[in-house]
Amino acid sequence: MTTRSTITRHDLFTGALAATATIAAAQLAFSSETTIYYGVAAPLSGDNAGYGAVWKKGMNLAVDEINAAGGIKGRKIALIFEDTQSDPKQAIPVAQLFVDDPRVIAELGDFSSPASEAASPIYERAKLVQFGFNNSDPKFTLGGSYMFSTTSTVVNDASKIADYIFKHLGKRAAVLYQNTQWGDAGRVEFAKRFTDLGGQVVSAENYLATDTDFRAILSKTRNANPNGLALFSYYTDGALLLQQAQDVGLHVRAVSSGSNFSNEFVKLGGAAVEGTVLTVLFFADDPRPDIRRFVSAYTKAYGEKPDAFAATSYDAVKIAAWATEHGGADRDGFYRAFLSGTAIPSLIHGPFAFGPDRRPVRQDETWITIKDGKFISLH
Amino acid sequence: VSSFVDPLVTGLISGNTYALIALGLSLIFGVAELVNFAHGSVFAFGAMLGWYCVAQLHFPLGVAFVAVVATTSLLGLVIERVAVRPLAQAPRIAALLSTVAVGLILDRVSQLIFSPERQMFPNLLPNRSFWIGDSRVDVLDLTIFGATLASVTLLWLFLTRTRFGRALRATAQDRDAACQMGVNVNALQGVAFALSSALAGIAGILVGMYDRNVDATMGFNAGMEGFAAAALGGLGNLPGALIGGLLLGVIESFGVTWFGGSVRPIVAFGVLILVFWLRPSGLLGAVGTTLREPMTGTFFGQGRPVVLQHWHIIAIVLAAAVVMPAFANSYVLRVATIVAIYAILGLSVTLVAGTAGLISLGQAGFFAIGAYTSALLVKSAGWPFWLALPGAGIVAAFLGALLVSPTLKLRGHYIAIVTLGLGAIVSAAILNLTPLTGGPQGISDIPPPTLFSRPLVSPRESYWLALVVLSACTAIVVALQRSHLGRIWRSLRDDEIAAQSSGVRASSYKSLAFTVGAFIAAIGGSLLAHQYTYISPDVFGIDISILALMIALLGGMSNVPGTILGAIVLIGAPELFRPLHDVRILAYGILLLLFVRFRPQGLWLYR
Repeated sequence: MTTRSTITRHDLFTGALAATATIAAAQLAFSSETTIYYGVAAPLSGDNAGYGAVWKKGMNLAVDEINAAGGIKGRKIALIFEDTQSDPKQAIPVAQLFVDDPRVIAELGDFSSPASEAASPIYERAKLVQFGFNNSDPKFTLGGSYMFSTTSTVVNDASKIADYIFKHLGKRAAVLYQNTQWGDAGRVEFAKRFTDLGGQVVSAENYLATDTDFRAILSKTRNANPNGLALFSYYTDGALLLQQAQDVGLHVRAVSSGSNFSNEFVKLGGAAVEGTVLTVLFFADDPRPDIRRFVSAYTKAYGEKPDAFAATSYDAVKIAAWATEHGGADRDGFYRAFLSGTAIPSLIHGPFAFGPDRRPVRQDETWITIKDGKFISLH
Repeated sequence: VSSFVDPLVTGLISGNTYALIALGLSLIFGVAELVNFAHGSVFAFGAMLGWYCVAQLHFPLGVAFVAVVATTSLLGLVIERVAVRPLAQAPRIAALLSTVAVGLILDRVSQLIFSPERQMFPNLLPNRSFWIGDSRVDVLDLTIFGATLASVTLLWLFLTRTRFGRALRATAQDRDAACQMGVNVNALQGVAFALSSALAGIAGILVGMYDRNVDATMGFNAGMEGFAAAALGGLGNLPGALIGGLLLGVIESFGVTWFGGSVRPIVAFGVLILVFWLRPSGLLGAVGTTLREPMTGTFFGQGRPVVLQHWHIIAIVLAAAVVMPAFANSYVLRVATIVAIYAILGLSVTLVAGTAGLISLGQAGFFAIGAYTSALLVKSAGWPFWLALPGAGIVAAFLGALLVSPTLKLRGHYIAIVTLGLGAIVSAAILNLTPLTGGPQGISDIPPPTLFSRPLVSPRESYWLALVVLSACTAIVVALQRSHLGRIWRSLRDDEIAAQSSGVRASSYKSLAFTVGAFIAAIGGSLLAHQYTYISPDVFGIDISILALMIALLGGMSNVPGTILGAIVLIGAPELFRPLHDVRILAYGILLLLFVRFRPQGLWLYR
C-alpha cells in the first residue's frame, strides 16, 4: 500500500466478498455431485493445534476406510476442515460458512465448549446437527435441539472416581482441578459423592489451564496427607502435575478421568504417572475385535497408537456416516437418524441410543492404569 | 517451617526465570526504548529448540545450551534488523506493534518446525535431592540457580568490563549523547537484542527442564510475567529487573499457596499496582527521568492526511448499511458483525490511548465487565436488551473510574503495564466471583437482543444492530475529539508538563478518559455477550486487550475511521486467509509486519 492510496471499508468488503465467492466456486468445481460433505470446526492452529492435528488423523482414517469400502450407497464422503483455533469469534463465522454451504449435511466439533456454544444458535436456527463429540460440558447439548455429543460428561466421571478412591485407596481424598467450567464441575460432583460415601475431602486445589509450575499447590496437598488424589486435568497439565508431585514428595495414587488418557500423558509424565488409574471411554489394548481392527489400522497409517482423541474423532465420522446411511444424505435425515436410532454402532459405546439430553444413555466403566510406560487394563 | 520454606524455594526458582526474561526486556528497553512483545516468543523458541536438540537429536545438555544461545542471539539480531531498526524514526508504539507481529510469526514457525504438540523435556540431571528441614531442594533447583547466576555474572562482566558494555550503558543512559560521542547506536541496539534473546533462550531451556515440558505457544504468558517483573524493578534498570523477577516469583508462590492457583494474577498484579502507586517508576527506577514517551508527537506530519468529506461519509454509511446487507452473503455479514463489535472495542482505545495518550492494555477487562453486566441484567434481572446495553456501559464506567485511580500518577509504559494488570485482575475476579458470574462455568443461554419483542438473530439483523451501535459510538468519539475536552486530552498527550503548567488538572482528565473508554468498551462487550450467547472468563484474555490496541494502532491511533479500518483488517484478514490452511496465521503475522514496516503511522492519517 502506498502513502497515497486509501481503502474504504466498502472496497475491502467487496474484495472479501469476491474472494469468498471465488473460493466457493472453486470448491464446487472440485466436488463431484455424488460426494457427501461434513463440516469440521477444529483448532488447527493456536494453543490447541495439537488436539486438532490428532483429530485430523483419526477422522481422515475413518473417511479413507468408508470410501475404500464403497462409500455410502456408492457415494464418497469428504470432510471440510475449518480452523477456528477454538476461538468463539472465529467459530461463529465458520458456523455460518457451514450453514450456508448446501453440501454440508452435519457439523462435527468444535474442540472446546466456549467455541461450540457460541456457534450453537446458528446451527440450531439452520437445523444443522452440531455433533460436538468432544464437548463434555453438560450445558452444551441443552443449548438447542440439534446439539449432540458422545463424550462422557465430567459429572459422570467424577462420581466413578469418588467410588474408586473410597473403595480402593482410603477415606481421605485430595482434589486437584483445572479451574475451568469442566474441572470445577468435576470437583463439585466428586466432593458431593465422596462425602456421601462417608469420606473426607482433605484438600481441593485449583490451577489455571495456562499454569506450568504447580509446586505451591502440590506442597499444600502433600501437607494435607491424603490417601488418594482425584485429578481433573487434561493430559498436558496432568502429566506436569504428577511430575512435579514427585519433586515435592507427594507420593499418592492419582485417579482421573479419560481426559488424561493420551500417549502424550505417558510421554510427558514418564515415571511420575506410573500407577495412575483412569476411567476411560476407549482403551487401545481392549480385546474387542473392532477396537483391535481400528488400532492396527491407525498404527499402520501413522506409526503410533491412537489415543482417546484419535478414537473419538474416528468414531464421530463413523457415527455420522451411519446417520447418513440410515436417515438420508440431507440435514433433516441426518437429524432424524440421530433422534430415532436405537442401536447406533460405535467403536466406543457399542450400539447406543441418544437419551433426552442427546448424549449416549448408557456409559460403561473401563478402568486402566499405567505400568512400565504402558496403559494396561485393570480388569 | 516447610509451609514457609517450600513456597519460598518454589518462588525463587520461578523468579529466576522471570528475572532472566525481565533482564532482556529491560536491556532492550534501555537501549531502544521499546517493550519487545516478541521477547516471550524468543523464549518459547529457545525452549522448543532446546527440546529438539536434547530429545530428537540427542545432544548432551551442554551442547544444547550452546546451540540455543547461538540460535536465539542470531534470532535477536534478525528481529532487530527486520522489525525494529527500519522503524527507528517512527514512533515507538509502531515498533511495539511490529514486535507483536514478529511474536505471532515466531510462534507459528516454531509450531511448524518443531511440533504443535506439547513435548516432554527429558530429565538429564541426576535425581538427587537434599532436605533443608522439611523442604526438598533438588539438583535441578541448584542447576537453575547456578545457570541464572552464571548468566547474570557474565552479563554484568560484559556490561562493566568491556568497551561494548560501557557503550551499551551509555546508550541506555542517553541515546543522543552516546550518538554524539561516536557510539554506533544502531550496532549496539543489535548487540542488545542478541544478548537479551540469548538470555531468553537460556530461560527457555531452564523452564523446559523445570516444568519438564515445552510448548510452542508458552511464550505469551512468560513474556507478560517478564514485562511485569521488569516494570516492577523499573523499566531499563537491570538490577531492578533481577529483583523484580525474584520478587514476583516469590509473591506469586506465596499467593498461590495461601489462596489457590486461580488467584495468581490478582496477587501478582495487585502487588505490582501497589508498588506503582507508591513508586511510579518502579522499585529502582529513577524518579523524574525523562524517557521518550511512547505517544508523544505520534503520527503527526508524516505523509498526506486523508480528509473525509461529507459526501464520503454518506457514501460509506450507505455502502455499509444498504449495499453490504443487500449483496454480501451471511458468512461475510457474520464476520462484519464481529468486525463491528471489535471496532467498538478499538474505538475505546482510540479515545483513551489515541486522544488522551494513555496506552491501555486492559480494555478486555472493561469489555468483560460490559459483557457480564449486560448478560446478567437481561438473563437474571429480566431487563430488556436496550436498557441493559447502556446499563452495562454505566456500570463499567463506574468500575473503570474506580479501578484506574492508582494509574493516574503514572506515565507512558507504566500506564500500559498497570492497565495490563487491571485487565488480568478483572478476568481473575470474574473467575473467582462464582456466585455472581458463574465462575469458570460462565454464563450460557444469554438471550439474543430484541426489537419490539422480536429477537434479532439473522445475520442481517445482527449486522444492522452492530452497525447502529458502532455508528453511535463513532459519533460519541468524534464529538468528544472535536470538543474542548478533546483538545485538553490532546494537550495532555502531547506534553503533560506543559498542559499542567497551563492549569490542566491532569489526573481528573485522565480519569475521565478512562471512564468514557470503559463505557464504550462495555457497550461492545454487551453486543458480544448477546451475539456469542455464551461467555466465560477465558473469552476475555490479555490477547483481546492487545488485539484492541493493535486495531487502534493500525488505524492511526487517534483516528476514528482508521480504527474501523483496523478492525476490518485485523479481524477480516484471518478470515480472508482461510484458504491458506496451515500457514493462515503465519500469513496474518507477515501481513501485519509489512503494514507496520511500510506504514508505521497507521493506515489512515488524520489532521
